[in-house]
Amino acid sequence: MKSGKKLSYFFLIVVVLILPVFIKSEYYLHILILCAINIILASSLRAIATVGQVSLGHAGFMGIGAYTSAILSMKYGLSTYEALFAGGLAAMVLAALIAYPVMRVRTVYFSMLTMFLGQVVTLVITEWRGMTGGTSGLLNIPHLGTIPVLGRFSIGFSTRLPNLYFVLILMIVILLFLYGIDRSYIGKTFKAIAQDDSLAASAGINVARYRALVFCIGCFFAGLAGSFYAHYMGVITPDSFDLFISIYLLIYTVVGGSKKFAGAVVGPLVLTLIPEVSRVLKEYQPFVFVAVLYGVVFFLPGGLAYLLERMSIRIGAILQRGIKANA
Amino acid sequence: MLETRKLTKDFKGLRAVNDLELNVSAEEIVGIIGPNGAGKTTVFNLITGFLQPTRGEILFMGENIGGLKPHAIAKLGITRTFQLDRIFHEFTVLENVAVASHLHAGIGFWEAAFNTPQYRKKDGDTDKYAAKILQLVGMDDKMDEIAGNLSHGHQKLLGIAIGLAANPKLLLLDEPLAGMNPTEVTRALEIISEIRKQGIAVLLIEHNMRAVMSICDRLVVLNFGEEIAKGSPDEVKNNRQVIQAYLGIGEHAA
Repeated sequence: MKSGKKLSYFFLIVVVLILPVFIKSEYYLHILILCAINIILASSLRAIATVGQVSLGHAGFMGIGAYTSAILSMKYGLSTYEALFAGGLAAMVLAALIAYPVMRVRTVYFSMLTMFLGQVVTLVITEWRGMTGGTSGLLNIPHLGTIPVLGRFSIGFSTRLPNLYFVLILMIVILLFLYGIDRSYIGKTFKAIAQDDSLAASAGINVARYRALVFCIGCFFAGLAGSFYAHYMGVITPDSFDLFISIYLLIYTVVGGSKKFAGAVVGPLVLTLIPEVSRVLKEYQPFVFVAVLYGVVFFLPGGLAYLLERMSIRIGAILQRGIKANA
Repeated sequence: MLETRKLTKDFKGLRAVNDLELNVSAEEIVGIIGPNGAGKTTVFNLITGFLQPTRGEILFMGENIGGLKPHAIAKLGITRTFQLDRIFHEFTVLENVAVASHLHAGIGFWEAAFNTPQYRKKDGDTDKYAAKILQLVGMDDKMDEIAGNLSHGHQKLLGIAIGLAANPKLLLLDEPLAGMNPTEVTRALEIISEIRKQGIAVLLIEHNMRAVMSICDRLVVLNFGEEIAKGSPDEVKNNRQVIQAYLGIGEHAA
């Protein structure tokens, strides 16, 4: 990576971390937290999609994380941070257990199977009332535990701002990790498998293992996002993790542009912000989604990320001309 | 090096390959010829693990490789090309070969994910290795082109380069010359000879008879899944059964 590019990513991260301080509205803080959660979910979904597999059960894995973390911290006395990690782990373990049979099926069959799996998860959550509270869900899930700082100060998570910072840092770490994979030979291998899996196999690539690997990684982060969601919201119900949510996540990545890493960041950002910021549109959210989706599919087949890339190239060119003119 | 014993494959009642006894020695170029539907590609799919034999054994360097998965067989040293232009169309030429070379670079998951200096060094070495292979097939001037935009002939050569990337001891070429113009054929034949000079045995399926006769040390002729002749190109050329299978009864050799 060129150092200039590295520097601009660094600035972007700094800006993202400073910006929340200036936001006074509790409502907007809440929206940004949801945004960050959606970005984690969409990016992990996109990672799975780079091997050519579109999961329609991603929200189910988020749900496993959410319920595992909530139940472990409420009923089994784990600390919220242990529970948070356990939530991700539970989603990954389930992914690993089913990876072998699931990863043998391809394309639309994979989508159907994961969709079914996601529905089974919500069904089990709904029916296992003793443990999960059934359709009325779990209430009073504890906030993340207070973090002591230098003995005298401490960070509590009962207000929105610390939660936003926690999820932003989580998001940045996850994005850096996923970007690291995407850019390395591992990501290249994933994309090679997506393009032609027999050719990849004949070059010695263990296709099934790579598919299982990325499925486990993606589901781990989905579980982690779900765990955080549970502790932040304090309330979870099965319908927060059903098929609709999985489809929304898919739309985020398509609108953002599934070929580009930035797509899974831009897509959820725009699609979470637009309907929320203009509150009048809130009831019409599905229509806004469909309108944006159609707009992108027809006019921007590469997704919003391509638009962004073209814009940054043009701005770069203008800047360079400006520098030359001044020199 | 490679030996098949009574290799047989049935497809729902149809016997595609019947009791085939094939062997390839080190640094040898062996051609499989025969009319369409003779079972040639099926033999390739059996050797490389894309299909499992109904009966019979496949031995490679004395080891039975029957039942192994394609990627495991590739690791043991047998790679292949495919009949159609099977390449990674969205990648650049260099990326195509590099992605097929990476498995032999010994890179770990974590060092790659965290982009450590060791990883960057190994990654750079892989690119150099891939560039060397592209030089062998004469495509080192096209490294940064998107593979999907290449001409048909170059896509075929890239397919061979991908096959070479996994550092095979035996390379299986499925109609490497199909659709090439005469100049490209000459070039491709030079490359195949060069591959053999590097110590790699080649087993190839090809319909271009003149090319096959000129380059192969030995030929095996299949018809309806059975070996009907084998030997040097000259022996095969004058074999009555071969002439009949190819040209029909009563005609003379081409």
